[in-house]
Amino acid sequence: MAVSWQRRLAAHAPAAVFLAEGARIGPLRETLALSPGIRLVDTPRHASVLLVAGDIPTGWRDDLRRVHDQLPAPFASVWCCCEPFEALHDPIRIDTLEALPQGVAETHRELMLGKRDSAPRLQPDEPPNPWEGLGDDGHGGEGMMGGTPYGRPMAMNMQDDLRDGLTLDTLTFRLGPFHSGLPPGLQAEISLQGDLVQAWTVTRKPFASVVEPIFHAARQAPVPIAELELSRARHHLRRLYRGLLVAGWPRLAERTLSLTGQLSPNSDITALRRSLERGGLWRLALPEPGRGVLDEAQVRELGGPAVRAAGIDEDLRSHDAHYRRLGFAPTCRDAGDTAARWRQWLDEIEQSLWLAGQAARHDLKTAETDAVETPRGPWTDAFPHDMSDLLGQVLPGLEWGEAMLTLASLDVSALDLHPLEEPWQRSTGDREGRA
Amino acid sequence: MILDQLILPWLLAWLMVGLGAYLVAVLDRLLATGSARDGSVWLAPLASAAWLMTQQATTTEAPDAPAWRLAPALYLALAATGLALVPWSPTLVGVDLATSLVLWGSLEALATVVIFLHGWSANAHLALIGAYRYVALGLSYLLISMFVLIGVALPAESLRLTEVVAAQTSLWHVVSQPLGLPLFLMVGLGLTFWGPLDLADSTDLSGGTAVERSGPPRLVWALARAAMLVAFSAIAATAFLGGWLGPWLPGPAWLLIKSLAVLVALLWLGRRLPRFAPERCVTLMWVVLLPLSFIDLIWAGAVALWMA
Amino acid sequence: MALLTLTTVLMATLGLGWLLQWLPARGQPKPTYPQRAPFLGGGSPDTHAWNRYHIRYYPMTLLLIAFEMEMMFMYPWAVVFVEKGAMAVMEMGMFLAILSVGIVYAWREGVFRWQ
Repeated sequence: MAVSWQRRLAAHAPAAVFLAEGARIGPLRETLALSPGIRLVDTPRHASVLLVAGDIPTGWRDDLRRVHDQLPAPFASVWCCCEPFEALHDPIRIDTLEALPQGVAETHRELMLGKRDSAPRLQPDEPPNPWEGLGDDGHGGEGMMGGTPYGRPMAMNMQDDLRDGLTLDTLTFRLGPFHSGLPPGLQAEISLQGDLVQAWTVTRKPFASVVEPIFHAARQAPVPIAELELSRARHHLRRLYRGLLVAGWPRLAERTLSLTGQLSPNSDITALRRSLERGGLWRLALPEPGRGVLDEAQVRELGGPAVRAAGIDEDLRSHDAHYRRLGFAPTCRDAGDTAARWRQWLDEIEQSLWLAGQAARHDLKTAETDAVETPRGPWTDAFPHDMSDLLGQVLPGLEWGEAMLTLASLDVSALDLHPLEEPWQRSTGDREGRA
Repeated sequence: MILDQLILPWLLAWLMVGLGAYLVAVLDRLLATGSARDGSVWLAPLASAAWLMTQQATTTEAPDAPAWRLAPALYLALAATGLALVPWSPTLVGVDLATSLVLWGSLEALATVVIFLHGWSANAHLALIGAYRYVALGLSYLLISMFVLIGVALPAESLRLTEVVAAQTSLWHVVSQPLGLPLFLMVGLGLTFWGPLDLADSTDLSGGTAVERSGPPRLVWALARAAMLVAFSAIAATAFLGGWLGPWLPGPAWLLIKSLAVLVALLWLGRRLPRFAPERCVTLMWVVLLPLSFIDLIWAGAVALWMA
Repeated sequence: MALLTLTTVLMATLGLGWLLQWLPARGQPKPTYPQRAPFLGGGSPDTHAWNRYHIRYYPMTLLLIAFEMEMMFMYPWAVVFVEKGAMAVMEMGMFLAILSVGIVYAWREGVFRWQ
């Protein structure tokens, strides 16, 4: 069959990729975001390639099947360090990061030019519930009322409202674990009334978050403070990147990300901070002061930047003699709300860059190996545990957008105690930001 | 006569829809990164459009199918109707309606309905939230738009766009009514849910009203949105920047240049600001921008009397 | 004639928009049930999305109605404004002043907040 001019033209389009993030991967989303010929999208409906990266545990695979079947034809899936579904007879596996962007773009091209058939649907073509009741469609009463029209009941579970007490329908659904606004792996059962979160129950815990290998090395032997602090700054910049995407500011998100690639002790984020302030991120986009507040017990359990954003100067670096020699003192915010946690990122990045500059001049290494402050939180004999249940206390009562921005400001997943293996290890730091 | 009054406005509107939407895609890419990452800037919009045309159009379990199809097409039709109202020169006018300003106002109001319909008819959770959220914005910018547009009608003593342009012969409204254009630009961002006012198709809702859209309907929706941006730019250039007025060049050329300037300003704003939180956005509109539009109207009235 | 032209443009563009959606979709099979489920990042919903939605900004919509009714008088007012002179300015100034008081009151009452 001759390939139509339309398809030949479509082959030149950037590959629209929906990324399903599995466990123990490096900053792949960030790497891909800067790769030419690839556009990351937020919904499988807008994608032509499903990219599955990292290990997807058994409990998560049914959810992945659901996402897989939601892509519109023609589509294909690319698997990176993950076992493909058996039902796929011709899965594309790319296990090296160097080849990944190229391979994904190539897959899109092959789909368009007809060299590759669209992937099969994995789930049986059946309604979620059997239809019941009377009528031509077997759906009960008139129109959408009664029974289970099109295999799904209508929302009629009235619960008291949190804010104004007006009782209307509650919408209950499970979101995630492959939603780009949620931490990878997290699935939550959410009840909404209007656009207000009524209840938030975690049904699947997020995958443990991975920090750069140097933090693991710092637990073994002294490491140069400059490198450690640059890694920390990069970690926070990447979180800021994801937050800014949720906040609907792609231009600045990309600018933030391009900083990570060229970070050095002389780097400076004053311009970035100024753009964020002037654009009105705190005045107009983030939740109002007082929204998303964590109390003292909660932040102490959470650890890391969230504690310091609540005005508690807990930071393991202040126990390290060499850090003290550099004049280190924890930087704190008082409010402990979502807006404060967003500011805390910038403060910590600035402080890390300053420390890196100082340490590079004196060529200092860390003094402590038993107690390392990771970007996620303090790692001594104890280490940051999964705190995703906390979300059920913080998010109810917030409007949807506020809830998503609050979620972006919180690092609730556990710390992964093992450094990443190949091929992710080399991905950290040097690859992203080259574009 | 048929050719002059029926076919010509139609052709003008469609030409502007097509070229304008393409231009929006290209300019937005240029403003986004400053450099072309995904191949050629000029080819990419066409390639993406071709891709969407070949993609399967998904549906949801039980959408309101006619309404779901209608929404993108009607949004496009509203944009084309708006473009047909634009006067290119004293003689070359798409449709010289005596109440063209009122008609444009009604198009803005209908746009809110269409955008709501697009999100609601999908019968999908995230799209539904986007739809209701957009209505809050749509109801808020409507008044600002009307006050600002009535401000430009005052010196013209008419609701006809050609006379609004004629009234700017001595001084453009952007100078005589300094608050008008900035306020109207905010309306434009709201009308096309662009950049900071993208409350309908926002990223925290994974694409909002368009979350379940794929294939040709998604293309029409994107096309309509870009066309509406162009229509708005042309109306803004007519109402505030003196439309076809200008030395040396012919009228249509001036209108094109001015519309382009408004368009670039809108796209630039869209890239420079984060998305406003719905609650804060509504408060901003009613408490800050609406009183400012009152001041604009009274100012416009005083200036009109003084100059008359 | 002008209205006829506008209707033509409206209907023709509506048709174009509809054709652009319909023509490429001819003969395509209907998406399967799993594909048609709403996207929730891999999660599934309990119910259809349509519901008696809690519109959080409902007091604001009432305020809008109050304003919109007054707006109808502003169009004829705009046309005769210069002819009537300072009188018209005074009248509209008073009208807007009263409306402004209304907005300030509504703001204090928290009308623009999500209820």
